[in-house]
Amino acid sequence: MILQQLSFIDWLSHHLLACPFKSYFGYDCPGCGLQRSIVSLLEGDFLASFKYYPATIPLIFIIIFTAFHLKFDFKLGASVIKFAFLGIAAIVFINYIYKIYTHQLIA
Amino acid sequence: MSEEQQNPPQNNPIDLNKPEQPNTPPSGFGPITPPPFQQPPPFGQFGGMGGQQNLPNATVALVLGILALPACCFYGIFGLIFGIIAWALGGSDVKKYHLNPTMYTESSFKNAKAGKICGMIATILSLLFIIFFVLIIAGAITHPEAYDRFFKGFN
Repeated sequence: MILQQLSFIDWLSHHLLACPFKSYFGYDCPGCGLQRSIVSLLEGDFLASFKYYPATIPLIFIIIFTAFHLKFDFKLGASVIKFAFLGIAAIVFINYIYKIYTHQLIA
Repeated sequence: MSEEQQNPPQNNPIDLNKPEQPNTPPSGFGPITPPPFQQPPPFGQFGGMGGQQNLPNATVALVLGILALPACCFYGIFGLIFGIIAWALGGSDVKKYHLNPTMYTESSFKNAKAGKICGMIATILSLLFIIFFVLIIAGAITHPEAYDRFFKGFN
């Protein structure tokens, strides 16, 4: 079972979708790193996941929370989603600015 | 005419003519809003069984608004499309709720509002990235050296 999982992750890490922007221009787009980050999250490496793309864990959180909110209808659910979304958008934006500033766009 | 017929029994404490609408204020638009459509108490919260309905596009707007953020990958185009759709659907549902607040559930109104705001944020972010991409391409064409220095550093 564990072996099967590992081979699945291995297969997944060799079949990531290439970013069209990066393959044409050679620079990262704001979503670059998301798939690598998810793969390292599946491997259990939270730090590497955060380093590849800091917004992955909050994104997964907000998607799961939205599914539960639509099913069970929490009282403050909608405003939690709003503020979490604003925070994630800020993380994505700051991450991209940081990447430009530290010349990490060319990987 | 109808107002003058309606107002005197409002002031009269012994009201025998119209017992079914005791709470209508003596304002100008009494006869326009039909009181028989006032629904019975909010009983069925989750569907259109008895009283209130969910807004039709609230869930779709919320889900699309959230998915618009990871979808900003592909030149920002998918993020822009999802964000604008979520913004429009959420906005139309919010308007629909304000037209007739008693017909729809409050939770679906909150969901529609959240979807509208999420779509707005995703649209703005995607637009920023698209502007940035256009600037990158224009910079690469017109000033190649400055472009290289900016992105690769000075070494």
